[in-house]
Amino acid sequence: MEKIINDFTINIATANGTGSQSANLILLESLFDMGVPVSGKNLFPSNISGLPTWYILRLSEKGYQAPGDRTHIQILVNPDTWDDDLESLESGSVVIWNSNTKNKTVEREDVFSYPLPMTKLAKGINPKLSKLVTNIIYVGALAELLGIDQECLNLAVTKQFKGKESAIELNIQAIKSGREYFRENLEKCDPYVVAKREITQSKFFIEGNEAVALGCIYGGCQMLSWYPITPSSSIAEGIIAYIPKLRTDEDGKANLAVIQAEDELAAAGMVLGAGWAGGRGMTATSGPGISLMQEFIGLAYFAEIPSVFWDVNRVGPSTGLPTRTQQSDISMLYEGSHGDTQHIVLIPGTIEECFEFGWYAFDCTERFQTPVFGLSDLDLGMNKWACAGFDYPSVDMDRGKVVREKDVFEAFENFGRYLDVDGDGIPYRTLPGSGMDPILYRGTGHNPMGVYSEKPHDYHDLMNRLRRKIDNARDQLPPPILREGEDAEIGILYLGSMENSIQEIDDILLDFGHNVHQCRIRALPYHPEVENFIRRHKVTIVLEINRDGQLHGILRKELPDDIITRVHSVAYSDGLPPRARIYATLIDKKLKEVMQ
Amino acid sequence: MSMRRERAVKLNVINEPKDSYSGGPSSLCPGCGHDLISGMIINAAWENGVEPHRIAKMSGIGCSSKTPAYYLGQSHGFNTVHGRMPSVTTGAYAINKDLLYLGVSGDGDSASIGIGQLIHAIRRNMDMVYIVENNGVYGLTKGQYSATADVGSRKRKGPSNELQPIDLCALAINLGCTFVARSFSGSRKQLTSLLRAAMSHKGFAFLDVISPCVTFNNNSESMKSFSYVKENEVTLHMADYIPHFNPVEEVDVPEGHYRDIELHDGSTIRLETISEEHDPSNAVAALTALHEADTEAKHVTGLLYFDPSKPSLAEDLDLVDKPLLDLEDSEMRPSKESLDALNSEFLS
Repeated sequence: MEKIINDFTINIATANGTGSQSANLILLESLFDMGVPVSGKNLFPSNISGLPTWYILRLSEKGYQAPGDRTHIQILVNPDTWDDDLESLESGSVVIWNSNTKNKTVEREDVFSYPLPMTKLAKGINPKLSKLVTNIIYVGALAELLGIDQECLNLAVTKQFKGKESAIELNIQAIKSGREYFRENLEKCDPYVVAKREITQSKFFIEGNEAVALGCIYGGCQMLSWYPITPSSSIAEGIIAYIPKLRTDEDGKANLAVIQAEDELAAAGMVLGAGWAGGRGMTATSGPGISLMQEFIGLAYFAEIPSVFWDVNRVGPSTGLPTRTQQSDISMLYEGSHGDTQHIVLIPGTIEECFEFGWYAFDCTERFQTPVFGLSDLDLGMNKWACAGFDYPSVDMDRGKVVREKDVFEAFENFGRYLDVDGDGIPYRTLPGSGMDPILYRGTGHNPMGVYSEKPHDYHDLMNRLRRKIDNARDQLPPPILREGEDAEIGILYLGSMENSIQEIDDILLDFGHNVHQCRIRALPYHPEVENFIRRHKVTIVLEINRDGQLHGILRKELPDDIITRVHSVAYSDGLPPRARIYATLIDKKLKEVMQ
Repeated sequence: MSMRRERAVKLNVINEPKDSYSGGPSSLCPGCGHDLISGMIINAAWENGVEPHRIAKMSGIGCSSKTPAYYLGQSHGFNTVHGRMPSVTTGAYAINKDLLYLGVSGDGDSASIGIGQLIHAIRRNMDMVYIVENNGVYGLTKGQYSATADVGSRKRKGPSNELQPIDLCALAINLGCTFVARSFSGSRKQLTSLLRAAMSHKGFAFLDVISPCVTFNNNSESMKSFSYVKENEVTLHMADYIPHFNPVEEVDVPEGHYRDIELHDGSTIRLETISEEHDPSNAVAALTALHEADTEAKHVTGLLYFDPSKPSLAEDLDLVDKPLLDLEDSEMRPSKESLDALNSEFLS
């Protein structure tokens, strides 16, 4: 049988709250340490203990990071999903299963079946902790089956249980026990193996939310207000965790205030208060939180208050699938709140961009005096991604048009809070406490001097200046990432975490006979280069993880009439991270429709 | 000539004329109780000698929340959204804790849409003066009952209110608010003293001021009309404010008939007993006074409760001494070396 090396998918079915996450991360880290190109995805329930959880490890020599089309190796530990998981396997798959599971067995003849008495082995090691140890047993069995280096496993265990000697010992013992049982009682007859690869660049694993948190810390965030919500909480918790190390003086006093708010409305209000007072304030939330913040978002837009909102998108509408991923908040962010609005949205697609946009969001919001959104999603935010290291901010902080000194203020011939002096739509502001141009900020209509007004021309001029201000931002925001060759007629426009599936989608499309170019949008309002990309291609597919094609809708509204017919939507979402073949197939279908 | 003019204008302790504390003309209904309160805010800030530009005027939405335009024209202000003034103030405070935050709201703001934010600002003991201009009706939307309308009270049009009112002072006391007072926009002396004391307080100073709505709720069947409150006000004590920059004078009230309470900035509020002595450090006594007044359909006014011992939000946040607003860029952005160190730590 021909070996299949470093190119398969492992699916581990457990229940949450049983320590399976530790076991899975040990596998991920060990494979990574061996130089095997690997990515891991955690599919978890909105629950603390007992509901089904799957962990998907994708090994791919081509570097594909999306979950693959099928499972090659299935670990069965959870009786609740056992039958479904087993039934969905293709012929020739491998099943490693806990033979101590009541009323469960593997009777399929067309799979490679490896029964392991995981519970019994675990009880032999530590009866009290057997539930947790059971999950480490399969790590040992997999290690033996695939040839995972024991040294790398030891290192990963040590990293996972930093400093807890007894836990490290227990876990290494359990891995060895799984390994030994496999070696002594079973015989490998399947083709799957792992092989060490040379590591050309050192990388580490980190979650997108932690990268955003660090970015915010390096962006000079001064106030974080937040209300806990999955999948964004780890941004706030990440910031809190790094404050002692990075934002605290020698007397132990912090220069970043953290306030856990009573709800998302209050969290948003605090962000506006901080921005109004002249500071860098932010919050992190998910779609339901943004829904609650809408009123304040409109106020920030209309009264021109710097404010940063991170949205880690989960599946909506309503409570939706709170622990699954989607790109469905695009329109809500871009056109948030009542009335005519338009907001700047920064959309990272890589772990490095999570950090970069983390700090850049503050420069951006103070430059344009308008709310700025970071749009991440659960897949990017809560899974671990390989990172080569974060780059220090390349530019000094941009504090925008703030008048802080009296002589600067007095040099203005006629100072008005909402007066467009430079023609870029961005007015100058003074700060509370300064005594300069003390005005009453308001969400009601106002004239260029900041005074209440319902006059038609004041309102009309103000709204047009706001549009001009945001429009002017287009070419100053992060430009799209383009991947173009010579002769392709088809362009794929996409955003965010789809970055991790796009190469595989392209390769499948090539198999289908479509040569395509790529353009990843990284900010809204979209950059002029996006329009140019569309002009260079006969057909552009707008690819999104949602039902309605929200980005496509925005493009159709804003593109010049003559190219609107060139853009076509392919949108799909089922809650799971994007699987390349599903999207490639949908694109192929769409192309057949439009290129006839 | 010029000397004479200087002498003609009375100046406060920081040599500012009262004009430095005034605002624009009011657009409220003639005779509105809120305008009286605005006048007393101007007086209190002037008499206390607060630098006008170091005040931040905060408000929500409603008739009351329009008033920041009518006082303290040299102060920045923020007329925010309905009921959410506390959160905006909290965020501003986190950035600049050195300003005096003066919040004005109404009973719609504070007892309905924003009651949660009020509760949590109290819970955090936010450093601010929080005034409710309480008239029992929604004025700006033309006279619907609010959640503070008294049982049996009848506004100018429609049936009487039969729902239990929310007593914001009782709520504040139960939440452990550190300064709780009730007053009446018709009680110039008492309210000015309470406002001045509130400005000297470190922590959340809550002032529920009954402020009749002359247009929708000033008829004789209303329990928040000028005439009703005047006739049914139970005053706990006379209140006198003695600023820290003036010596505490002897008064002709006999010993034991007044109580001096020292405030955080060294000023004093002197409470002169009228009939029975009220002890503002006793939360149960304060709640009893409120309950008794409620039973008799009266309005009890005065400093109900005071607790100077609780840490305010600033202490809880444990931030650097200077306001975060004054941080240098180099303090806000950690060094390149720190990021290099983190990167290598991640890689190891």
